[in-house]
Amino acid sequence: MAEVVKKSIDQATIEMIAKAKTDECNIVFDRAETTKACPIGAEGSCCSMCAMGPCRVPLPRGKEETPEDKKKRRGVCGATAETIAARNFVRKIAAGTAAHSDHGRRVVSAFLDLAKGKTPGYQIKDEQKLLQLALDMGIKIGDRSNEEIAIELGETLIREFGKQEGELAFLKRAPLKRQELWRKLGVAPRGIDREVVEAMHRTHMGVDQDYQSLLLQGSRTALADGWGGSMIATDLQDIMFGTPSPVASQINLGVLKEDEVNVIIHGHEPQLAEMLAVMSRDPEIVAYAKSKGAKGVNLAGMCCTANEVLMRHGIPIAGNFLQQELSIVTGALEAMVVDVQCIMQSLVSVAQCYHTKIITTDPRAKMEGAMHIEFDDHHAAEGAKAILRVAIDNFPNRKKNVYIPPQKTDLIAGFSHETINYLLGGLFRASYRPLNDNIINGRIRGVAGVVGCSNARVTHDEVQLTMVKELIKNDVLVLQTGCAAMASAKAGLMVPEAASQYAGEGLASVCEAVGIPPVLHMGACIDNSRILIAATAMVKDGGLGDDISDLPVAGAAPEWMSEKAIAIGQYFVASGVFTVFGVTWPTMGSKEVTNYMFKDFEKIYGGMWAFEPDPIKAAQLMIAHIDKKRKALGIDKSRERVLYDMTMRRQLEGA
Amino acid sequence: MQYKTEKKAAPGRGEVEVLSATYEEGKPEGEDAGRWRQKLQSREDKLKYLQTAERYWYGKEWFGSEKRKTPA
Repeated sequence: MAEVVKKSIDQATIEMIAKAKTDECNIVFDRAETTKACPIGAEGSCCSMCAMGPCRVPLPRGKEETPEDKKKRRGVCGATAETIAARNFVRKIAAGTAAHSDHGRRVVSAFLDLAKGKTPGYQIKDEQKLLQLALDMGIKIGDRSNEEIAIELGETLIREFGKQEGELAFLKRAPLKRQELWRKLGVAPRGIDREVVEAMHRTHMGVDQDYQSLLLQGSRTALADGWGGSMIATDLQDIMFGTPSPVASQINLGVLKEDEVNVIIHGHEPQLAEMLAVMSRDPEIVAYAKSKGAKGVNLAGMCCTANEVLMRHGIPIAGNFLQQELSIVTGALEAMVVDVQCIMQSLVSVAQCYHTKIITTDPRAKMEGAMHIEFDDHHAAEGAKAILRVAIDNFPNRKKNVYIPPQKTDLIAGFSHETINYLLGGLFRASYRPLNDNIINGRIRGVAGVVGCSNARVTHDEVQLTMVKELIKNDVLVLQTGCAAMASAKAGLMVPEAASQYAGEGLASVCEAVGIPPVLHMGACIDNSRILIAATAMVKDGGLGDDISDLPVAGAAPEWMSEKAIAIGQYFVASGVFTVFGVTWPTMGSKEVTNYMFKDFEKIYGGMWAFEPDPIKAAQLMIAHIDKKRKALGIDKSRERVLYDMTMRRQLEGA
Repeated sequence: MQYKTEKKAAPGRGEVEVLSATYEEGKPEGEDAGRWRQKLQSREDKLKYLQTAERYWYGKEWFGSEKRKTPA
């Protein structure tokens, strides 16, 4: 068991890894041992852009590189290690941006169908958010119906993807100073698709061969994700499914139930998950489940779809990225329903060890050996019921090797920007003022966004959890999304009681006064756009500078693994946030490129990258940055409070 | 918003109707716990909330540091 403990700190995960071994089922943790990471690819020193390669240009190991050595470090075409590292990095940004933005495009399409009355299963759930976006996009409200406004809004937003000139509309939500900087640097994205296409073009063999120029396009592409595709997806999902507000639920594999039909929805887009959440409670479906000997249908989430249905319906989460196979290993999962992103291809082979049906639902993401039931928004209820019936029919096929680990933890989720604003001030005086005031007075040292994935190359959940605990212990309020949020939730950090147990005295006092946990769950990875908006609200409320780069804030993705994480990190850096990544860093093959991103970026964007795999050291880097910003703002030490009388005021005015 | 009133004895005026408390009592329970968006019912209320609560973007008289430097 000791060997298993190194793979995760989560007890449910540890037990399921051991069960997989007993059941002779090969899982991600095994493959991470047998398939070593390629050291040349890991440092971004492999160029496979043309058929004269792939060319490997790694840094020499165990000795300092001489100028002569460096001259030789080129691909066949002459591309330098710098160009190769930057190209590889920008391609990751392009892929991440494409993933989030294609999600966004699909949401806009569903939204337009809803507005036109073509999708009877869905409705506009948050009129206020619809009105908010109408104001953003300059759409007339007047006495028009919600559907009329929604059609114009959808048609306007869909054009953001194919726009060729100008700027993305949501850039104007950013602090004024930041907008000016983006324009000055030439990184204000013109259209979402255009930036992805241009990034792919410029990284093609023989095009952009200046790493600084390549990385500028990387920023422009990433900003098209954060302030474009992701933000559009988040906002329209809020209109269709409701803006998240605090909701209680539970997390970990223990949410699966032995006497019910267990269905896990896994992936990223919430349309199907929303309908499954409704239909799993449908009397006809419940009766059908009972006819097969189950007590009902138990729907749980996995990965970011889990975050979506958690925040809006309180549907429990079975686990994060590295637990997707393990939910099947319980032997109690009737169906895993998947759509797009972060779906391991091994699910099918793991399912063959048990009875689980893997059901793909999206035409963009099919899997060999899986059942495909294409989900159509126009017939959402019927589609969801068909999927649930497959799962129910599979209930009698459970084998004897069923074991559901008992671990499950309470959490509170649903802290959207709107809800934070409301919780801090109430309905009549909603405001970020209390947050800013408590940062200024030092009770809260700063704010950190800890986001990203889980990664089998490090001990599952340990890196994130250690970092988050270190941050809140030092009075840093932590905002989380994605699989990183789930690690904290499993450890009990996402309940208000965690404040007194884990947070520093100042942060705990504020959390207790407001009634919030010290670690706030803000949603799925697409919802990192909510963190951008929260940071902007802090700037606009005043007292903490004029730009996001002035704020005492920092970001991190300590267990990142996907290209989406790189895109997210880059849009945070280009928005002015100091951002630390763990596990590995993909430009280490070029000292120039790495130094440029770790040092020079700060002069350009006010934010920069850092790499630190040790979570305590990484947290201390973030805290040091927060302290640097506090000092620059002049709030690093308490000042004597002086009550001014009229004479003193006259002297002040006369000065 | 529906205001509640209650009757109270006033010196020399007998029983008078006064405005009652408008806060929410206790801890909300059930499915509605934590849900606050539905408190805003009419479109007018929602637009007004945007102008005040989300004044950072939609307020006409916001006094934040940005507006001081860049008059609207």
